[in-house]
Parts: sequence; C-alpha cells; structure tokens
Amino acid sequence: MRADDMPLKGIRVADFTWFGAGPIFTQILAHYGAEVIRVESQTRPDGLRMAMPMPKDKPPTLNVSGYFNNFNANKLSFTLNMNTEKGRELALRLIAKSDIVAENFTPGTFEKWGLSYERILQVKPDIIMVREPMQGLTGPHRDFAGFGAVITPLSGLSHLSGFPHRPPVGLGTNYTDYVVNPGHAAIATLAALHFRNRTGKGQLIEVAQFESSVNVVSVAILDYTTNGRVQERQGNRLPYACPHGTYRCLGDDRWVAIAVFNDQQWQGFCRAVGEEWPRDERFSTFLGRKAHEDELDRLIESWTSQREGEEVMERLQAEGVPAGVVQSAADVLDRDPHLRARGYYVYLDHPEAGRTAYDGSGFRLHRTPGGPSMPAPLLGQHTYYVCKEVLALSDEEIADLTAEGVLQ
Amino acid sequence: MGQEPRDGALSDLRVLELPGDVGAYCGKLLADLGAEVIKVEPPGGDPARRIPPFLHDDPHPEKSLYFFAFNTSKLSITLDITKADGQALFRRLVERADVLIDTFPPGYMDGLGLGYEALSHINPRLIYCSITGFGLWGPRAQWQSCDLVAIALSGMMYLAGFPDDPPNRPYGNQAHYCASIQACTGILTALLYRDRTGLGQLVEVSMQEALSMNQETAMQFWDLRKELRSRQGEGRRLPSGEWFRVPGLGTYECADGYVYLMIGIPGFGAPLSTLIDWMAEEGMAEDLTDPHWKETFAQLDMRLIAQLLQGADVSMAEAWLPKFRYADPIIERFIRTKPKQLLYEEGQRRGLLIAPVNSPKDVVENPQLNARGWFQTVEHPELGVTIKYPGPPYRLYETPWRIWRRPPRLGEHNRQIYQDELGLSPQEMSILAAAGVI
Repeated sequence: MRADDMPLKGIRVADFTWFGAGPIFTQILAHYGAEVIRVESQTRPDGLRMAMPMPKDKPPTLNVSGYFNNFNANKLSFTLNMNTEKGRELALRLIAKSDIVAENFTPGTFEKWGLSYERILQVKPDIIMVREPMQGLTGPHRDFAGFGAVITPLSGLSHLSGFPHRPPVGLGTNYTDYVVNPGHAAIATLAALHFRNRTGKGQLIEVAQFESSVNVVSVAILDYTTNGRVQERQGNRLPYACPHGTYRCLGDDRWVAIAVFNDQQWQGFCRAVGEEWPRDERFSTFLGRKAHEDELDRLIESWTSQREGEEVMERLQAEGVPAGVVQSAADVLDRDPHLRARGYYVYLDHPEAGRTAYDGSGFRLHRTPGGPSMPAPLLGQHTYYVCKEVLALSDEEIADLTAEGVLQ
Repeated sequence: MGQEPRDGALSDLRVLELPGDVGAYCGKLLADLGAEVIKVEPPGGDPARRIPPFLHDDPHPEKSLYFFAFNTSKLSITLDITKADGQALFRRLVERADVLIDTFPPGYMDGLGLGYEALSHINPRLIYCSITGFGLWGPRAQWQSCDLVAIALSGMMYLAGFPDDPPNRPYGNQAHYCASIQACTGILTALLYRDRTGLGQLVEVSMQEALSMNQETAMQFWDLRKELRSRQGEGRRLPSGEWFRVPGLGTYECADGYVYLMIGIPGFGAPLSTLIDWMAEEGMAEDLTDPHWKETFAQLDMRLIAQLLQGADVSMAEAWLPKFRYADPIIERFIRTKPKQLLYEEGQRRGLLIAPVNSPKDVVENPQLNARGWFQTVEHPELGVTIKYPGPPYRLYETPWRIWRRPPRLGEHNRQIYQDELGLSPQEMSILAAAGVI
C-alpha cells in the first residue's frame, strides 16, 4: 500500500484527531509513508465530513466534503464506537501496535475512555503520544472550549492584522489550523521519533494550540515585554519597506502586491513604470518615500488601476522588483503557470467525490518525494483491513464485533 | 528535565544556517530542541540584525528585537563565502554538519561551488534545505519574492480583509514562519530517512507552496463547485450591497476592545439561547426570549450557516436578513457593556465560545500562559537586561524545549569554531580577519 522506501516507512499512527489542526498534522506523516489510521465513528463523525464545500452534482454524504478530504489523503479510516467497552479495548490494542498515538479532544476525554498516558505506557512502553489541546493539559483555562477560529483572536494575530480603521476580524480563515499548529505538531513528533531512534525511548508531547500560535507573533510580544509598546494594526505597510502594499488593477477585484526594500529595487520600480512621476525628488530617498507614503500609494494605484495585475507583476519582476498578483483560488489552481509547471496541486480519483484536487506537500524531498497519492478514505473504508491485518482478529470475531455495533 | 542542550531531542545535530530572515525561524526550531545551530554571517552581519523594532528603540545591530525573536539558542560565526578562503573554511564546516539551511536565490550557492551537488560529495549525509520564494525550478524560480508577495501569490491574501479595502496582509511575516515550519518538517523527515539509510538529501521549500494550505477551503470551493471564496471582512455582503452577520458569529465591540463570538453552531459549545439567557439575567435580552426567536435560532445548523455565508444562491440569505438585522444589535448592546476578560471567562463558564481579541499586552498578561509558566526569561548580560521571550510551541516531556542561550552577538563563536575546533592558529585568524574573510 506504501512506496517501499519512504522516510516514515514502518511507522504506524493511531490517529484519534479530528477537525483541522490534528488531521493536517498526521497527513504530513502520511505524505511520507507512515501508516496513519484515522479512528473515527459513525456515531460521532468528524465535523469536517459534514462541512462545505461538497461537489455540486453529488449527494452530500459523509465522504465528499472537500474540507475533510484535502486533509486526509493517504490515510486509512477505521470506525470504532468508543462508547462501548469493546471499542475502548480495541482502541488500546491498536495503540499497542502503533508507534504514535495522536489526539486533540478536550482534556479528559482520553482519560474517560481509559486511555491515559500511564495506561498506554503499560501496553506500549516506547509510545510517542501527541496531545493537541487548545489551552494545554493544565492551568485555569484547561477546560475552555475552542477551535482554530478562536486561536486567531486569542494569540494576538487578529489585533495585529488588518487596517487600523477596521475592527480586528482576523484573516478570513482559521489561519493557525493549516500550517502553524499542524507543522509545530509534526516537528515535535519527528524530533521525538529521531530521539527514539537514538535511545529507544518514547515520550509524551503536548502541543497547546494557543501556545504554539503565540510564537508567530513573537516580535510584537518582545516589543511589549522590552519596550512596553503595544503594536497596533498597520494595514499592509511595513516600517522597513516603501512602497509596500496592494494596489487595485483592471478587472473585478484584481490587485497586485508590490514591495520595495532598497534603492536598487526602487530604481527597478522607476524603470518598470517608465514615467516621470516616480522620479519626483521627494521619492528619491527611503525617508522621502516614507514621508510621502500616502501620496506615493495613490500615484502607484492610479498607474496600476489602468493595467492588468499580471502585466504590472511581470513588468516589475523583469526589473527585479518583488511583485505578485493577489491570486484567487481559481488563479492558483487553474492559471498560475509556475504552480502548474511544478505540479503543486495533485488530482486524485475518489470513489464518491470523483477526481478532485489536493494540496501537495508543503516541502519537497528530492530523494524521497512524498505527497498525496491515495484519496481521503471513506468513513470506515479500512475497518476490515485494520481488524484483520493490524489487530489480527478472525473473521468470526470481526462479524461478532460488527453485530454488536462496536465497529460503527 | 535536564538543563543542557544535550538533553534536547536533536542534541546530536549540527546545523549551519546561512543569512536571511526567511529561514531563521527554522533554525530556531532546531536550536531550541537542542541542535547546535551555527549562523554563518557575512562579516557585516545578518541583514536581519538591522530590522526594527530595537531594544529601547536604539537602532544598534546587537539590539534588534526582530533578530532576537528568531535567533535564540544559536551560535554565530562570521564568514565571507564569496572569497576562496571563506569557501575552503565553509567546506570544512560542511564536512562536520548534518543540516544546511540556505535561503539564497536558486543557483547562488552553485555559483560559489557550494551547491547541493558539490557539498553532497563532501558529505553524503548532509541534509541541504533550500528555502526560496518560488522553489528551485520552474518558470518563475528567479523572480523576486518577500513575505507580502508570497502571501499574495499563495491565495491566502485574497481571503483576508473587508471587500471595500485592499486585501490584508497578516501581521508578522507569516510567509517566513510558514516556510520555516515546512522546512523544519522537511528536514526532520529527511533526518528520519537518514537514520535508516545513512543518506542525506535536498529539501526544497517554495514560500508560495508553503502557504497554500492557509487558503482553508477556498481551493476546494473552486475545484468542487466553481465558487470563489473572497474576503468578506466578516459576515457577508450580498450583491445588493447589504451586509449581515449571523448573530453570535463574529467580532463584537466590548467595553475595552473586542471579543470574537463563535456561538450557535451545533457541536461548537453552548447554543445561542445560552447567551440570550445570560442577557435576560441582566435584563438586556429585550424580546429575544420569545419562543419564536428560539425556534428561529434552532434552525441555524452548520450547513445552513455555511450556505448563508458562502453559498452561491443568495435568496436564502436575503430571506434571513431582516431577522438578523433585528436580533444582532440587541446582542451588540449587551456585549458593549462588558470587558473582554469577563466575557471570556464568564462566557466559557457557561460553555459559550467567546474569545478576547488579545493585544500583545493581553497575551503577556494571559492567566493561562502565566499559570503554565510559559514565557521564558533570558538574560542579556552585555545589555544589562533580562528579556521575557515567548515560550515553547510544544512540550516534549523527555527532551526539553528551551531557549538554551540568548541570541548570539555577531561572530561571538569565531574562536570556538575556528580555533578550538578547526585548529586555526591565532595568526591565521588575524590574517583571515584582515582579508575580510571572518
């Protein structure tokens, strides 16, 4: 089922995570050869299996959500009813045969199921157990409920992002769910696997999503802890670049981002525009451009707004100026010639959703390339396989468990 | 927990990090887990040493808080790798290194004779990680990038901000963070392959690709439905120009700032009626306690909410608009009377998903982070200050994460690396310094 020579060949993950940050983390492992077994349940399906978007022309089953599928390529789905005693026993048996167990439930849920770290150590002494609570396993806010959507405001990202005259509504997505938290969880887990290779020891890993996320606003934190300054929203500007912003172009809601960090790039900008206005004396120095930034931005936009974003981008890039169209999903998926040449998005045939696009791996390993190669699993698609091949149950036992509703 | 870098999970690794702030967080992630990360800086210093803000607003190259944020636990040596002597020394360092982080443009290191091909001959175990704007190959590989441009081209910026404003850049060079996180994940995946086979390899990160996942569902909305997600600020603007939000879902002004409410989605905390009960206790629910409102709100399940906010068919949203227009201001009036920390803690006590929109000050004062001892103080003896740093992104209970040492001063470890380890004599050091190599 797996390429023979992948970096994580032979690593099995009992994956109890759900929603965004957890499954994306385990998908990274699955991209590179780990056998990731999503432990799911018909009685309590992952909320993303019911979430938009679903294909327009297909029945809205639990198997066709693009939100879910894009985060669960290369995995197996094993359904287990954790409200039954036998279900909980099987969960422990699965963990005993795994290298990694991962979960992101509210603290206490795993303990309620008899799956405390101490109990797991009894059946698998070198387990790597990864827990991704929102707030952490301890502390006065331990039991606070939360999802990625509340991490953006909690961490300071919302306060710091956007234009100063607008309320802090965040980034339009549950930003930290997609790279920041899953990436941090993967890094900790891979480091622990390396440590286990060296010493034979497993360990407990705690990735509190709140703590993980505050790391990506670290400069603002240091500015406060040392200088007492509370940074505020600055729109698209940057203290050490000018111009630095997005400018309207021809077409419906088309924009181009332009950034100039030094005199060389400014000279390139002037050449690319090829008109007199950027050569105004007031714009010839960085301090001058900063002092007249509002006016400069207006002039730039009056120039860009008469042109296609792609044309502006290509003219500026030809002169060595960082510039890029604010691309929509349609641009990145269907039009961006660079992403297409590199084959970043991968199309896989899914039995219910049809042929759909998946994000590729966020990094490329030249000797051992990975990424999505098998579509996201149908709910319970691999229950028989896991019972038979991993848990070594007989057909008779599997039939009994099925009849008792344990494998739901 | 131990107190030495050798107790860290990656304490057997040596990493060389070339200058450039795109990859600095990757080096920090490795260093705080115990790897020996050596910054190889040009004799004038990593350009990141000149990026603001500065300690006490003093623009000195040893006082950049931006540099501090990304360079904890590292060592620093100076080396001009454009000079022949510098290249010879660099090759000797590579012989003993496990990982190299390179953020120069594609082909730059090859041009110096220090590309992956050349270095892998010296050290076949080397994991060579390249982080660039567009990756090492492809039609735009030589284009210029930066945080803003990568964010724009990735698709994530298209989703951020209000529709009547330009698209918003997220705070804080998120492209650098995401590229560094992806790079570190790639390096460690390659390390596990090396653990098994002894073989290193090239790890390639494109900032544009590293960010793509942050589009959330936008790529899938286009692929599956040919519907384009775009920035809505919050709530939704209809083609008619009218704006609404689903009551209980969004950013509300409170007595001392803002709070984010995520109330009313089944399975995500207590329902809207819990908030209305709370408002009623304080005499501020107005007529939202009427049974017909309860029935109305009960219809809002996850799928309906998604259709209202994102669906192509707007007639349903138009039908709901008058109800939302009536109910939402009542909630607004209640929220405005209370401070954010009270709304957060009392809301959570009632099971309501309410989060404060924290400023950096609020984060530093957050009771949970402080109860868990999250922030780490680090002495900077030369500056006469002790600085409180953000703490661990993760806790590994056998192998501690720590800021093992303050960020290095420029060239602070030249003697240790060149003299003590490579065996250069003081005379050779002087000659190399005079030649501008170190």
